[in-house]
Amino acid sequence: MKKMWKVSAAAAMIGLMALAAGCGGGEEKKAAVAKDTLKFGVTNFADSLEPTDNYFGWVVMRYGLGECLVKFDEKMNSTPWLAESWKIGDDKLTWTIKINDKAVFSNGDKLTAQIAKESIERTFAKSDRAKTFFEVDEITADGQVLTIKTKRPVPTLPGMLADPLFIIVNTKVTDRDYAKQGPICTGPYMVKDYSKAKAVMVANPNYWDGAVPFKTVEIPTIDDPNTRAMALQKGEIDMAINIAPGDLTLFDKKDKFYISSIASLRSVLARLTSAEGRPLHDKRVREALLSSLDRETYNKVLLKDTFTTGGPAVPPSLDYGFDELKDPNTYNMERSKKLLAEAGWKDTDGDGYVDKDGKNLELDFVFYSGRAELPLYAEATQADAKKVGIKVNLKNVDYNVLDGIGKRGECDLIISNIITANTGDPEVYMNWYWKTNVNGSNPQNGSGYSNPEYDALSDKLAVEFDPAKRRQYIIDMQRILLDDAATLIFGYPQTNMVSSTGITGAEIFPADYYWLTKDVKPAK
Amino acid sequence: METVIKGLRTNRAFAFTTVLVLLLLLTAVAAPILSPYDPTEATMRNAYLPPSAEHLFGTDKLGRDCLSRVLYGARASLSGVLLLVTTVFIVGTSMGVVSGYFGGKVDMVIMRISDMMISFPGMILAIAVAGILGGSLVNAVLALTIVSWTKYARLARSMVLKIKRRDFVEAAVVNGGKPLHILWVHILPNILPIMVITAAADIGALMMELAGLSFLGFGSQPPAPEWGLMLNEGRQQLQTAPWLMVFPGLAIFITVVVFNLWGDNLRDVLDPRQEE
Repeated sequence: MKKMWKVSAAAAMIGLMALAAGCGGGEEKKAAVAKDTLKFGVTNFADSLEPTDNYFGWVVMRYGLGECLVKFDEKMNSTPWLAESWKIGDDKLTWTIKINDKAVFSNGDKLTAQIAKESIERTFAKSDRAKTFFEVDEITADGQVLTIKTKRPVPTLPGMLADPLFIIVNTKVTDRDYAKQGPICTGPYMVKDYSKAKAVMVANPNYWDGAVPFKTVEIPTIDDPNTRAMALQKGEIDMAINIAPGDLTLFDKKDKFYISSIASLRSVLARLTSAEGRPLHDKRVREALLSSLDRETYNKVLLKDTFTTGGPAVPPSLDYGFDELKDPNTYNMERSKKLLAEAGWKDTDGDGYVDKDGKNLELDFVFYSGRAELPLYAEATQADAKKVGIKVNLKNVDYNVLDGIGKRGECDLIISNIITANTGDPEVYMNWYWKTNVNGSNPQNGSGYSNPEYDALSDKLAVEFDPAKRRQYIIDMQRILLDDAATLIFGYPQTNMVSSTGITGAEIFPADYYWLTKDVKPAK
Repeated sequence: METVIKGLRTNRAFAFTTVLVLLLLLTAVAAPILSPYDPTEATMRNAYLPPSAEHLFGTDKLGRDCLSRVLYGARASLSGVLLLVTTVFIVGTSMGVVSGYFGGKVDMVIMRISDMMISFPGMILAIAVAGILGGSLVNAVLALTIVSWTKYARLARSMVLKIKRRDFVEAAVVNGGKPLHILWVHILPNILPIMVITAAADIGALMMELAGLSFLGFGSQPPAPEWGLMLNEGRQQLQTAPWLMVFPGLAIFITVVVFNLWGDNLRDVLDPRQEE
């Protein structure tokens, strides 16, 4: 008995020492990235790898598993990926897409037009979001040639096929649990083990587009931005997505870290519920709210200049008239107070908040804290609105319930950090939130916003092929939103990926779903 | 009460910590006078200023003065924890006394409920309750009351069971005393010192739990100045603006230490065993 005590005490001591050594050795470890294993700290919202479910396709693509027919380059042009080339017929409805002859799935199956067809049909069958992109009349397959005929002219079809919703999966394989194992795809990596908390990816032995640089990629989910930054500093991970704006200065040592940062295609905005009976139904109240907010300071000071100050719906990274559009509701507290008074809101009971018919002007602001800037914008809004007498109640909710709240319009403001051009141009985005929703025809617009002029422009845009005219329509639509004070655009984020100098090729793209690619390699 | 006053005179440590506790309470009460700025006034152009003569504790992410927020935070945190201790004390003690004195079915029902409460991990249950009720300081107090009263109930019950058999209680019963009278006049004064000691010693621990709930977002909501919440807000800037965590953290630390020491000394003063 006594001996056993001694043995276990010795074992415990050794364990402790090992622990101490492990804690102390951070400095020396840092430079040496293991050549065959990559560790990548990410944020993750997906509890399943089913690409047609929710936005989970994004994760399938971000983790290097899935690929689409089309890929966006760094300027958001549609370029070939699994498709080699495409052209549109004279009827403006029929697209002929040539599938790359080299493309194979990770299980060795060749990607044929037939499988691509079945994969696209599968997406339409399983996701009700697919038809908000385009509606299919007929898809046919012949060898490596895929033909898609749409019901209406769809000028941006290649861009739409680049959305992760249309990841090409091997439909010949039917005995797979997509949620846990992921689909059989064509990407450089395959799933070894997946949970929302951590994924382990392994190299695809049959990858069709060159060598796969890492044998194993471990992708821990580190949702807290501060923890993610510290893990990267400490060398626990080799690269990290989206280091918080304030923390970027921690990584400016060029010999240790590489920061890839670009103006993203995203807008951070709050949709304003303007349905009848809501306080924001009154345009003057919306204008008052907008002009009470010092958005420039939020972006320049609070977010340390890592965001561009918001105005029009489409960010300046896309050429849709950012410079010519003037926001009529920039920061002006006096104007805001005046507008409130005109709308009949006055502080009669002296509690600091304006009221009408005995009720204070209270707005519910729904946000989530998965992205560092969202709570900040929310609290800044609360603080600024208070100065003109608007009471903003903050409601921090889980990301998973956010979508439903927005669709049902169960709040006055709801924040999103949204990609504005997931199909290469902002058409889908402009329609989602602001095109009139008649009996669920446009479920994403739960705000009750409706403007016939806007809808007319949207209809024209849908069938227009001429880029110059498309641009003009989108500018006009943005102008209507600005004049109606229909929405509150806080700012446009920069997005970043920071990597240790032990690896190369970790570049962030404007489209937010090319994270782990075949180009992320160990440094020579 | 007399023992306490006597304790103040004879027990130096107790006198000293009592002064500290009073100072803390005074700080909370006098926060509006002591604070240089309005704690919720956001001057965003001055965000993230490090501590300086103008802002002794620096400013936070919205340019609010951190010193003012810590001072006002004393109000929220102290009133929260005192409310919590009082409710737990009253609910727990009365449940325990009733259960111990009447016995039988009443005892069984109360004690089984308390068993059920104990079989959950306290903080998790509190998070669940606060999550269902929605985040606010009052709800956090309620949630912690629900998980903490059992300790007091069990303690009070065991003491009542002991005292119930003492001669003076039996005599009171024989003389036709009503249960309420007996409880109030004969039993309660005898268990009260121990209960008060327990409550005083608990203030520190409960304060941590309350701050914990706020830290997790189930207690006070922004923009209220509350220490746990401020810690959470500062967490994002741990490396770039450490003062946002240091000062609220210090405030919690000091307060908990002061209350714990005071609780210990109060026990020395009140403990009946020392009297005998």
